[in-house]
Amino acid sequence: MIETRALGCRAGTFALHDVSVTLPGGAWGIVLGPAGAGKTTLLETIAGVRRVQSGSVLLRGDDVTHVAPEHRSLGIVYQQGYLFPHLSVDENIRYGTRDVAWADTMADRLGASALRDRAVQTLSGGERQVVALARALAPRPDILLLDEPFAALDPRRRTHVRRVLRALQRELGMTVLHVTHDFAEAGTLGDYAILLEGGRVIQSGPPAELFRRPATAAVAEFLGAENVFAGQAHVVSRAEQDGLDTVRFSVGALSLIAVGEYTSRASHAVIRGEDIVLARTRPGPSSARNVIDGTVVEVAMEGSLARVTVDVGGLPLVAMLTSGSAAELGLREGVAVVATVKAPAVHLC
Amino acid sequence: MNHRTSHRIATSGVALGSLMLLALLVLPVGMLVMRGGVDGVRQLGSDPELRASLALTAFTATAATMITVLLGTPLAWLLARGRMPAGTLVSALLDLPLLIPHPVAGIALLLAFGRASPIGGTLERAGLALVGSPFAIGLAMLFVAAPLYVSAAREAIARVDHRYESVARTLGDSPWRAAWRVTRPLSSRGLLAAGVVMWARAVSEFGAIVILTYNPKVVSILSYDRFNAYGLDAALPVAAVLVLLALVPLLVLRSLRAHAALGEPVR
Repeated sequence: MIETRALGCRAGTFALHDVSVTLPGGAWGIVLGPAGAGKTTLLETIAGVRRVQSGSVLLRGDDVTHVAPEHRSLGIVYQQGYLFPHLSVDENIRYGTRDVAWADTMADRLGASALRDRAVQTLSGGERQVVALARALAPRPDILLLDEPFAALDPRRRTHVRRVLRALQRELGMTVLHVTHDFAEAGTLGDYAILLEGGRVIQSGPPAELFRRPATAAVAEFLGAENVFAGQAHVVSRAEQDGLDTVRFSVGALSLIAVGEYTSRASHAVIRGEDIVLARTRPGPSSARNVIDGTVVEVAMEGSLARVTVDVGGLPLVAMLTSGSAAELGLREGVAVVATVKAPAVHLC
Repeated sequence: MNHRTSHRIATSGVALGSLMLLALLVLPVGMLVMRGGVDGVRQLGSDPELRASLALTAFTATAATMITVLLGTPLAWLLARGRMPAGTLVSALLDLPLLIPHPVAGIALLLAFGRASPIGGTLERAGLALVGSPFAIGLAMLFVAAPLYVSAAREAIARVDHRYESVARTLGDSPWRAAWRVTRPLSSRGLLAAGVVMWARAVSEFGAIVILTYNPKVVSILSYDRFNAYGLDAALPVAAVLVLLALVPLLVLRSLRAHAALGEPVR
């Protein structure tokens, strides 16, 4: 388990403020946030290589705030790898352990064995990352701190290393705290996500919760929500049993029905692009509460997905479709479409 | 005046200024070596006093440098990593010997370690008289040159990203062990260069040594002594030998810089 209580730490002009997070033992935690949010500082403070100014750090339930890093039984992998350039790859991997067999196993499983005879200086960025991961795992830590460890890996190797690490984490019951900018990675690997900004925790919870129900419009935009509208929410009806009120959100020509525990006030509506269904004609009777007419203004292909921007009375509504669906519907600029959104997919914040 | 003409004038002015400064620095030393170099090298074979003086200078400078490397490298690490309490004050104090005239440094050393001082008096009663001994020469060399070593070593260590040490710590190393296993090898070229600079400075020291120990004579004092006693022609070969002795570490340093990116940070 990793826990921080009201953690404060200063790193030059930057500071962490009152950071309280709890990651259960054996979980994979994701730390998200813009550049300069304090993600690396948080990892370094947990590792003990940065001095805590206030609050406390608990590992495995024990207060380790004043325990030296070498006695915390954890591993850290930085984005740059920080392989020791005066040592060989093999010496790097075995640096922190006497258990050579286990170090060799880690190197094998991560695909670093073939690199053992190479000089550190000749390794590519991705190869360095793999060796750095093997080096961190060689002393059998039960807590692993990862600072964008897959950033320099090519897509094939990234998939392999992610899979191996996930398997190792489950086999060994490791607790992992992982800084990433890759939302897909966060969704795939993470059991728990922490969003930092300006040295503070803005939101934390299961990744799906963060992506589906961002706390603020800024969080929604940072997490890549395609549609964030500023407008006015009015409670239409109060639920008596399930606590979910029906709310109408209005901005310009766009009117949306949402359900949840909301109040009548100025707010933001967030809709993820993949929650919008597009059709060429109005559907028949349907359970969807939001049926919106519009005109396609742009179709942009993003790999296997199509990003379709629909003009709704001057407001852009972005839907994410498979490129096959977009082709079957014949979507192109100027085509009239009907967008359908279920009320629970509209999140107000 | 068009842009190209003004650019040419500026370039010519800079080139001329650089040449003048270079001539000012190289000319006296060059003339000294040209006039006394051959005689100095020849005299090494026939002048036992010069040979003894040269050996004494090299020995005391080496001893002072080795002691400083031993004591000054951990201090430089503490300063570079911001682990030294009142680090700014300590840095300022370390620079102090560089700022005072060297004869004044000699007087200060005499006050602290002379016969009349508690330390000097105790040592003399124990049979170890500092003043007038090679120990005092080494002490004077250390006093004036050690700040150069600590300062350069601190820079060399600071160029090594502290995260190498952080990684080593999470792999089980104590702070000193991480510094020894990781930072020391990564900063070794810079540390060697710092040692070379200190050694060269120690070899050429005169002002502080002349106050503490006139005899036995280091090369700088021997050169001064012969100039006073016998005039320029007698002093020239000795002075040229001193210049050649200081030139050796300088060439080593340049060679190090040519073979490796000495000033590049290790990231």
